[in-house]
Amino acid sequence: MLTNTLNGLVYGSLLFVLSSGLVLVYGLRRVVNFSHGALYMLGAYIGYSIALRYGFTAGVLAGGLALGLVGIILDLVVFRNLSDRNPLVTVIVTFGVFLVLEDIVKSVWGTQNYTLDPPAALSGVVEIGGNPFPAYRLFIIGASFIMAMILAIWLKFGRTGLFVRAASFDPSVAAMCGVRTDLLGPAVVGLGAAFAGFSGIIAAPFLSLHPAMGSEILVLSFIVSVIGGLGSFGGAFLSAMLLGQIQAFGTVYMPELAALLPYLLMSLILVWRPQGLSGRAA
Amino acid sequence: MTALLQCRNISKSYGGVHALQGVDLKIEPGRVHGLIGPNGAGKSTFIDVVSGRTRGSGTVILGDVDISSLPPDKRRRLGLSRSFQRTSIFPAMTVRSQLELAATWVDDDNTADLVDMFSLHAVLDEHAEEISYGQQRLVDLALALVGMPRVLLLDEPAAGLSAGDSHSLTDHLLEIARRWNVAVLLVEHDMDVIFKVCNVLTVLETGRLLIEGPPDAVRSDPKVIQAYFGSTA
Amino acid sequence: MGGQLRMSRSIRQSTRFPIGEIVGVIAVGLSGLLFAQLDMPLLQSLMAQALILSFLAFGIGYLIRMTGWVSFGHAGPFGLGAYGVALAFSGPGPAPEVMLLLIIPGVTLLYFLVGLVVSRLEGIGFAMLTLALGQGLFVAATKFRAVTGGSDGIAVSLPRRLFGLTTDLLQQPHGMLVFALSFLLIVYVFLRLFERSHLGRLTVAIRENEERARFLGYRTRALRAAVYGISCGIASIGGVLFGLYQGFVSPDVLTWGMSGSGLIMAILGGSSFLWGPIVGAIVFFFTREWLTENTDHWLAILGIALIVIMVLWPKGLSGGVERLLARLRTGSGPVPVELRRKAA
Repeated sequence: MLTNTLNGLVYGSLLFVLSSGLVLVYGLRRVVNFSHGALYMLGAYIGYSIALRYGFTAGVLAGGLALGLVGIILDLVVFRNLSDRNPLVTVIVTFGVFLVLEDIVKSVWGTQNYTLDPPAALSGVVEIGGNPFPAYRLFIIGASFIMAMILAIWLKFGRTGLFVRAASFDPSVAAMCGVRTDLLGPAVVGLGAAFAGFSGIIAAPFLSLHPAMGSEILVLSFIVSVIGGLGSFGGAFLSAMLLGQIQAFGTVYMPELAALLPYLLMSLILVWRPQGLSGRAA
Repeated sequence: MTALLQCRNISKSYGGVHALQGVDLKIEPGRVHGLIGPNGAGKSTFIDVVSGRTRGSGTVILGDVDISSLPPDKRRRLGLSRSFQRTSIFPAMTVRSQLELAATWVDDDNTADLVDMFSLHAVLDEHAEEISYGQQRLVDLALALVGMPRVLLLDEPAAGLSAGDSHSLTDHLLEIARRWNVAVLLVEHDMDVIFKVCNVLTVLETGRLLIEGPPDAVRSDPKVIQAYFGSTA
Repeated sequence: MGGQLRMSRSIRQSTRFPIGEIVGVIAVGLSGLLFAQLDMPLLQSLMAQALILSFLAFGIGYLIRMTGWVSFGHAGPFGLGAYGVALAFSGPGPAPEVMLLLIIPGVTLLYFLVGLVVSRLEGIGFAMLTLALGQGLFVAATKFRAVTGGSDGIAVSLPRRLFGLTTDLLQQPHGMLVFALSFLLIVYVFLRLFERSHLGRLTVAIRENEERARFLGYRTRALRAAVYGISCGIASIGGVLFGLYQGFVSPDVLTWGMSGSGLIMAILGGSSFLWGPIVGAIVFFFTREWLTENTDHWLAILGIALIVIMVLWPKGLSGGVERLLARLRTGSGPVPVELRRKAA
């Protein structure tokens, strides 16, 4: 029972870190980045290759930082230039980016599955409530928690965080108040992408690497966002945790239906409350 | 004469901000009822709640039907119509086709009369985004009048109009109320229009009803002067 | 008392009788028939497959055209049509003809109900939701082995006779070609008629200013949901034809790659004209056939093509045609542009 809850926390925290990247970009650019899942996947694969040669820590750093760079480029090239068009245009373009990135992954790494072993320091087992629990999974929870904290503190107390919140409310007014919105864009999108990359490489020893992982996780992060309410971190947190628990308990008690549960939950929430748990009403 | 539209205890809060608190108002057919007050008094919010655009609390009775929980489209079909402070028309459609669109379900197709009243003949086949701002405001108003509504809620119809256009607007409003026996609620900042056209005024201040009465009495009431100018000096 | 707007009657006259379009539809139909008589089975088969896929694009494009919404999950109704056919012929229960007749209206109704719920979301939320729904159907198809055969799929055992007619033509290239083309033209004509009707114009008005439409007395949500239902019904027709022609249905028909391809076809074709997505589908299909033979990087090219089109020519092929026609018109029109401009 406790093991399941903990497993749920693992899924949930990964989902949250990934989805917060989506929320960040949506908050600032009013666009849902359909390539977000591919960023996650790319981070995992890059981190994997680096980790094989230079160790796990290097892999994590590489995964996150490389994707941060990709995010910055994405903002400078795509989001900024299309910001005056219908947001759906940008969304479709990011879908194109997704296809390109997926092709890159398949070309460079091939279509077979890869597994990455957790680093020696974290590959042990910990006794929790009388049951063994992989230490690495605790690391996932911890690392995600730290990233979430950093994000929360930055947004709430940091000056740049304040600017981000202001700009997401009203970009033109924020600009008039001296917020450097042109620097903010790449910074925020870069951070969102870095988060995707980090969650990808951190998740790698837990889930394996395969070319479909991008699309699978993308749909899940969409479900998290839709349930939580687009643009809401709190909502994303709640729904990520909820989905994590459902995933964990579902695979144990209802293995056939488990894969469908997120969709069912999403449908129920939408019928009841279309703006999501914490979203603003239409 | 019995009131056509009765609004009782209309309230609306946004979190801790009370935009409206328990406002009562009645409108009678053939009369123009002005709703005035300083900025932030809640005038537009009042129209939004009564027309169904925003959810608020209180009772709205049209004729003898309680419409408080009806959606805007049903209220319109029962005869409660409104115009918009920020012009809300169909930019890429021609003037003619939007008037037709509004007239499809109505029993009384008065679109020809409206075109005459607002002198829209010349722009009938223009796309709405290409006509002048003043004419767009008239189209906005005309759309609200298609089908002869019983009650008309006007949210600052003169906003952005030139003096000449405002002048003809007041004539139109008088005609609409008297000739067509419509009950008109007029929210306006332009006091020339208000005092020319209104039979009775309601003054709101910070969401509450301050005073109600004939225009001359209201304009010299010390409470009103205080609300607008901050002192009776 | 109010008078009638006499001019409103004259409007119906001034909407030009679409001679050009009617000729076009007849011409396309006849050329299709002629093409089917030739002895070119490979080309006919490719064309038949392209036309089947064009229903998918048609549905997506129609939704964009009427409501401005973008669906990333239209493989869902397409796949439901295909699985519907397979199940109509394999399962126990009512006669296959009855089942067949129920599929398309069933899918339309289902998605109408979905649309009622979903129409409260704004454009981007809707897009995300359609992706998730499409993926949900894919997962369901893979999991429910008992019904769908799981990832192995199900065969479509076409009965010898349907509705009193022999069915072997359906699985022959020239037969399916004519069949698909006929359905396509019928759907096209119906949609055009709808567009020119009051409801059709109302739908477009709702796209422009939904709130005002509501304050003019219209129930906007139901209409949008209806258009969504119709667009899914169109896709399901393609699915039915797909099942009939291929003789086999698997979850491949529900992947988001399928939805994505449909979207690209619709965008490539553009929605300036109703027939845009159909042309886009045909161009896309043949390009893809050619590309997959010559390169492995099919996905990347697709992605780049999508990006380029959205940035440079968002209105697609039909937008290009529209611009060309406009240029031709103003070039030879009798009224100079200046005279048409009103003094403000």
